[in-house]
Amino acid sequence: MFKKIRAISIIGMSLVIFSAGIVCAETRPMKDQAGRIVDVPVSPNRVVSLAPSITEIIYDLKCEDRLKGATTYSDFPKAAQKLPKVGSYVYLDLEKIVSLKPDLCIGIKDGNPKAIVMRLESLGIPVYAVNPRSIDSIQSTVLEIGELLQASEKARHMVGEMESRIDYIRQLTATAKNQPRVFFQIGISPIVSAGSDTFIHELIEMAGGINLAQSYISYPRFSIEEVVVAAPDIMIITSMAREKVFDQIMAKWKQWPNIPAVKNDRIFLVDSNLFDRPTPRLIEGLEVLLQIIHPELNFKPVNF
Amino acid sequence: MSSVVKQIIAVSGIMILFLVCVMVLGLCFGSSGTGIRSFAETIESFSNPDSLYYTIIWKIRFPRVLIAAMVGAALSLGGLVFQALMRNPLAEPYILGISGGSAIGAIIGILLNLSRFPGVSILAFLGGMGTLFLVLLISTGKTLLKKESLLLSGVMVNAFCSAVIMFLISLTQDARIHNIMFWLMGDLSSGGKSEALIMGIILLPCFVIIFWFSNSMNLLLMGKEMALSMGVNVKIITVSLLMISSFMVSATVCYCGLVGFVGLVIPHLLRLVFGSDHRVLVPACIFGGGAYLVLCDLLARTLPHQGEMPAGVITALVGAPVFIFLLKRSE
Repeated sequence: MFKKIRAISIIGMSLVIFSAGIVCAETRPMKDQAGRIVDVPVSPNRVVSLAPSITEIIYDLKCEDRLKGATTYSDFPKAAQKLPKVGSYVYLDLEKIVSLKPDLCIGIKDGNPKAIVMRLESLGIPVYAVNPRSIDSIQSTVLEIGELLQASEKARHMVGEMESRIDYIRQLTATAKNQPRVFFQIGISPIVSAGSDTFIHELIEMAGGINLAQSYISYPRFSIEEVVVAAPDIMIITSMAREKVFDQIMAKWKQWPNIPAVKNDRIFLVDSNLFDRPTPRLIEGLEVLLQIIHPELNFKPVNF
Repeated sequence: MSSVVKQIIAVSGIMILFLVCVMVLGLCFGSSGTGIRSFAETIESFSNPDSLYYTIIWKIRFPRVLIAAMVGAALSLGGLVFQALMRNPLAEPYILGISGGSAIGAIIGILLNLSRFPGVSILAFLGGMGTLFLVLLISTGKTLLKKESLLLSGVMVNAFCSAVIMFLISLTQDARIHNIMFWLMGDLSSGGKSEALIMGIILLPCFVIIFWFSNSMNLLLMGKEMALSMGVNVKIITVSLLMISSFMVSATVCYCGLVGFVGLVIPHLLRLVFGSDHRVLVPACIFGGGAYLVLCDLLARTLPHQGEMPAGVITALVGAPVFIFLLKRSE
């Protein structure tokens, strides 16, 4: 008799646990930016971000309580550095990711190794891929991550803010009288610039400048000779290594006084973090560029 | 039972034991930080394939350890065959550029967006065979330095291959470049169950065939005339053994990139310990080489504070000094 009761209660309990499991794992299909249909949990609670930019957007959306792991170089905001690390975005540590028991990974289409993504999925972990290639697609990325993490409201608010800051800059640049020729230098040695399919190109154009590397794609290498011939009005250098290196580069360019930017002392150092990650922070980068390219337009930062 | 058979069984037994120990270690440690204790927990949770430990140990670490063992076996066997056929203690597929040639083929395949199998694999094999042919062509015939010519031509072909690889990399500017770079350093991290299966299907028959020819390798080492008089068809056996080894090496390159020096270190070490009978050395190389790469991969996974490094870095760090030591000694 007791045995029977025990058996029934065990069956009953396991049924309850089983159905609870189903409730937890409730999923819905969503089409990601790689064009794949991914079954994502309706309410993901253990998210692992596979790129620094995605970590940043999740923090912007105030969804960091759902974030259980991030890549090695996820260093913005500061709090993200404390998350468990799952390798760098180009060299993901499969075992570490799986050990964090994620119910959703958010990755980027270009960069995350395909083989690892496919193995994650074969282990039953959905990977939602984003592919931000332009300011527009950053906005849709924010909206989609917002929808994934049930923070659509906040995401729409963020996109609205980006939109109005961009509008303000468009209004300003519409009144500009000239279009300075800008050489944007990313690498120090070799000299590398940003071609027409990069965020930096888009930002330079939006800030009312002409990108001297626009006839190239991705990140072309330049020789000193080519830079001298291109004769930029403004040179902008991003650097991860700060001031000291900048002085050295300045001294190097000073040897070429026939470059207009050198002659008129218009060489600037900018924070590379504002330009190399596809996040809403790029708008800050845009505002910095505007003030460098068109100082005469009297840009006033808008507070939200 | 003849004494050779006894020796083969004894040596294989020891090496298998060693391999199994290293493989168990490989299953126990990993970047998620679970040690021996949790392995015991896994044995408990055998019945529960949904548990996290089960997934990590059997679905992630196990295929990886298996692939490492097979790749290590294939590479050290390749080294053993090359050293026997070319009668040169420094001959090895990696040093002679066979790996480099396969890598060129594989990179071209990757850049053409071909699938790993068969597209990239076939190109890797063609690249490996091409360089083997080139090395043999340069080193035979009338050359100034008879004994060193093989090694020299190998080194030159290898340098040329590296240059072509660098050229192809400098052409690539998109995200694939990172994948290619890590892969070139000898990376075992992306292998899963299906990869392990394909590797097994490709490599295991090669191991058997080479073991079959192991006595012929003994005779070949005594010299061509001697081998011919003992009834060995020198040409056919030399060509087919070189082809099979190159085939194995290009298969490993295709999946794991350039894992260097395994084929140099292991055969020499084993020859020092077990003598120069290839009937004993072939099985010893299969199990010992496997164990060595499993160990190197374990170090690669656990040494870095965060993430992991490619296993090829470790094998080269160990292998290059050994190569220099052998070079000095052979002088």
